[in-house]
Amino acid sequence: MKITLSSYEMELVRKKLARELNEAEWLTIDALWSEHCSYKSSKVFLRSFPSEGEKVVMGIEDWQDAGALDVGDGWAIVLKLESHNHPSAIDPFNGAATGVGGIIRDIISKGAKPIALLDMIRVGNLSNPRNKWLLKNIIAGIGFYGNSIGVPVVGGELDFDDSYNDNPLVDVAGVGIVRKDKIVPSVVKEPGLKIVIVGLTGLDGLGGASFASRKLSGEDEIGAVQIADPFAGKIVLDATLEIADKVEAIKDLGGGGLVVGVTEMANGLGAMVNLDKVPLRVKDLKPEEILVSETQERMLFAVKEENVNEVCKAFEYYDYPCTVVGEFVKEPYIKFLYEGKEIVSLPSELLLSPPRFVWEIRKPRLIKSDKKPEVRLEESIRAIFSRIISKEWAYSQFDYEVGTSTVLKPGEADSALISLPNGKLLALKGDANPDLCAEDPYECGKSIVAEAYRNLASVGALGIGVVDHLQFGDPKKPEVYYSFVEAIRGIAEASKFFSTPIVGGKVSFYNENKEGKAIKPTPLIVMAGLIKDKFLRNKVVEDSYITLIGFTRDEMRGSLFGKIFGNYGEVPKARLNEDYLASQLVIDLINDEKIFFAKDINKGGLIASLFSIIVKGIGVEIRTSSIPSDSDDWIPKLYSENGGRFIVLTNDPDYIIRKSKGIHISVIGKVTKDQGVIKIDNKEINVNKEIDNYYNYLYEVML
Amino acid sequence: MKTAVIKFPGTTCEVDVYKALLEAGVESEIVKYKDFDPDKYNAVILPGGFSFGDYLRAGSIAASTETIKKVKEMADEGKIVIGICNGFQILVESGLLEGALLPNLNLRFISKWVYLRVIRFDTAITRGLNKNILKMPIAHAEGRFYLNDIEKAKKYAVMLYSDENGNVNDKVNPNGSILNIASIANEEGNVIGMMPHPERASFKLTSIMGETDGLLLFKVLRK
Repeated sequence: MKITLSSYEMELVRKKLARELNEAEWLTIDALWSEHCSYKSSKVFLRSFPSEGEKVVMGIEDWQDAGALDVGDGWAIVLKLESHNHPSAIDPFNGAATGVGGIIRDIISKGAKPIALLDMIRVGNLSNPRNKWLLKNIIAGIGFYGNSIGVPVVGGELDFDDSYNDNPLVDVAGVGIVRKDKIVPSVVKEPGLKIVIVGLTGLDGLGGASFASRKLSGEDEIGAVQIADPFAGKIVLDATLEIADKVEAIKDLGGGGLVVGVTEMANGLGAMVNLDKVPLRVKDLKPEEILVSETQERMLFAVKEENVNEVCKAFEYYDYPCTVVGEFVKEPYIKFLYEGKEIVSLPSELLLSPPRFVWEIRKPRLIKSDKKPEVRLEESIRAIFSRIISKEWAYSQFDYEVGTSTVLKPGEADSALISLPNGKLLALKGDANPDLCAEDPYECGKSIVAEAYRNLASVGALGIGVVDHLQFGDPKKPEVYYSFVEAIRGIAEASKFFSTPIVGGKVSFYNENKEGKAIKPTPLIVMAGLIKDKFLRNKVVEDSYITLIGFTRDEMRGSLFGKIFGNYGEVPKARLNEDYLASQLVIDLINDEKIFFAKDINKGGLIASLFSIIVKGIGVEIRTSSIPSDSDDWIPKLYSENGGRFIVLTNDPDYIIRKSKGIHISVIGKVTKDQGVIKIDNKEINVNKEIDNYYNYLYEVML
Repeated sequence: MKTAVIKFPGTTCEVDVYKALLEAGVESEIVKYKDFDPDKYNAVILPGGFSFGDYLRAGSIAASTETIKKVKEMADEGKIVIGICNGFQILVESGLLEGALLPNLNLRFISKWVYLRVIRFDTAITRGLNKNILKMPIAHAEGRFYLNDIEKAKKYAVMLYSDENGNVNDKVNPNGSILNIASIANEEGNVIGMMPHPERASFKLTSIMGETDGLLLFKVLRK
């Protein structure tokens, strides 16, 4: 197995312990100190995230496996976001599937019932057969696992960019529900508890955490990928929830396997584990392999001795292995024994305090062309529309109705909406903007939070909290590290502004293509929100007024238009107050039942939002002169992606004008019955071909 | 007397069916597969999911359990047996219903809302139904009904995939089932299998048009 520790780190260990270590011990430190498990290159900056608030039940600093937010009446939701990028690049089916499994186990380890999944997928251009193969298997893998365990995939994103050619991004977010006073900790507080493991340990996923913490080598690394077994996952899910209130702590055996699970659960106390007692899937596993194997569908429980039988009975009903393998002890040493011999004996404190790094930071010198591209109206509209596609091919492979709680279906609105056991409605949305992040990671960080906040508002929900996932290249490259630090700054600022604290997150470095070029910086957030009172189910109505909320600015860099025709000008700066005011207005209008369609303006600008109306089978006409803007140019008016804006359909625009506080409201046009026709000023463009492409593109290209 | 909702390892829809039965005013309980006592119930529902992981073939392992022997006894006594999705697959695998459920023609899992035309009104769940076009979601990878005897298939068919006006054609056949068959029953009409999920069309809030056609099928179990 490969070790990723640097010689500096190895020297540090030798000095502290004043001795040489054996292989098992090096593997232990390698797993615990891996970037994946220890956040050694990111922790310093992550501390700047706002993580407190009246709704925060459990935040980042609580050292738990997931965050939790209060949703009223004694209930909390548990939120978690993770990726399986590296495994998915090598074995997309199992990589994506185990991503789902891992998230689900994180949720149940809090004693919470998983109620929703969101998946956010980014792959390279589909004209490349390998990317097609990746996407097909990623979607199949998510469906295979999510469907089998009966948790609905209620939303997500699917996007394409050449920078993900060798390194796809496969993000999965999970949401669970639990009584606030029944949340189970992931760490123990007292010695003497038994360490119980459920599930069989196999040969797959060897050194997965350290694998995820380095670059893809291009060598055969299939052994580091875990194999998904959703049936076992379902048994673990059902049985764990059955016994959740009979255990003192629960931890998923995820990255780093048993050694990391036990050490983190001990949380400074000691542990004594007999590796011979771990039930194995294959014979003759070496002790070092048992130590760091990341075989899925295993859980770790800390159990009072008198409860062990009852806990294991729930698993044995399903013929699932459940075994005591050791005990938490007072002496703060993590010890693993094999055939009576101590093969690991390391101080807990050393394992839990890896060296922290702050790498060199350098602002990249982007050579920015500033030439405004010459493009004609019709050509630009067709080009933008052809990039906007329905994701039905993907989400129709997911069982999004299981649980009978999915109120808004995938593709129906900008946010997913599910009902909770207390009768409240929970909105969820994931957002990223790699094109903007590549230009300005700080503005991008702010704007993805603002976008999620608007997305939630567009169905009538107010954001209450965020989980984030920060995906970048090699942190030791100063330009990459710059983008990482800047993105955090932006996300932290916006989350603080909107009072949507960050309750959990994940960092994924070393995302690069074969030439060593980093992916576009891709921080991603998932925001949760609650419907105030009424929610909006979008409907397009002929002859209704297309009303634009917000002010349009000549800020074209990082936009979809710029991606297609060439970047120029400024990046959009997130004016958070405008996002806030416009969102409040939209929520009010939904509750006053004054609008029947709402969509925020983001990728592709105003024109893309109009396209989402047209694809419902009607037409639109607008006047560019009615669009309030700091420019007379039609390009920013149609394609700028600056925030703070929504399109709504209404019969009563005057009402909206009366209601608005300090936000521009303008009637820019009407919904017409000319199916597939968009009329801008006096120019009519028939886009029925683009509408066909919208509905059929993925079905055709993925055949 | 009550309706039993059976939970096999890997079943995912037992709570949804239970909730829908509650909504329909049917007394029911979820029963784990090893604990099932058929004498306590006058009807049994095998809900959807992936029983025993659907390893081998969908429904095949569950079909050979002691639990299904007990379900057979109930069927023979004329009690009502309903299999939904994976439950339908189990009924077919166990021989309680004829035919087979093959992988969808496009070889993908399909989750979507469909229209169903009811053509048999002599089964336990369609008796007295005053609506002949229903809307419900499907979600399955192996739902292509097949039976090599076409006359028998016609005789057994309870619901067909259709458009919203009840027209039955290839365009609205989501999985390639013969004759667009979505649901069949035995001759007596007390054993019914269906691929669509009525429990998912039982709640106003989560039904896409606010219609609750699923409840119409469950209401017959009200005693």
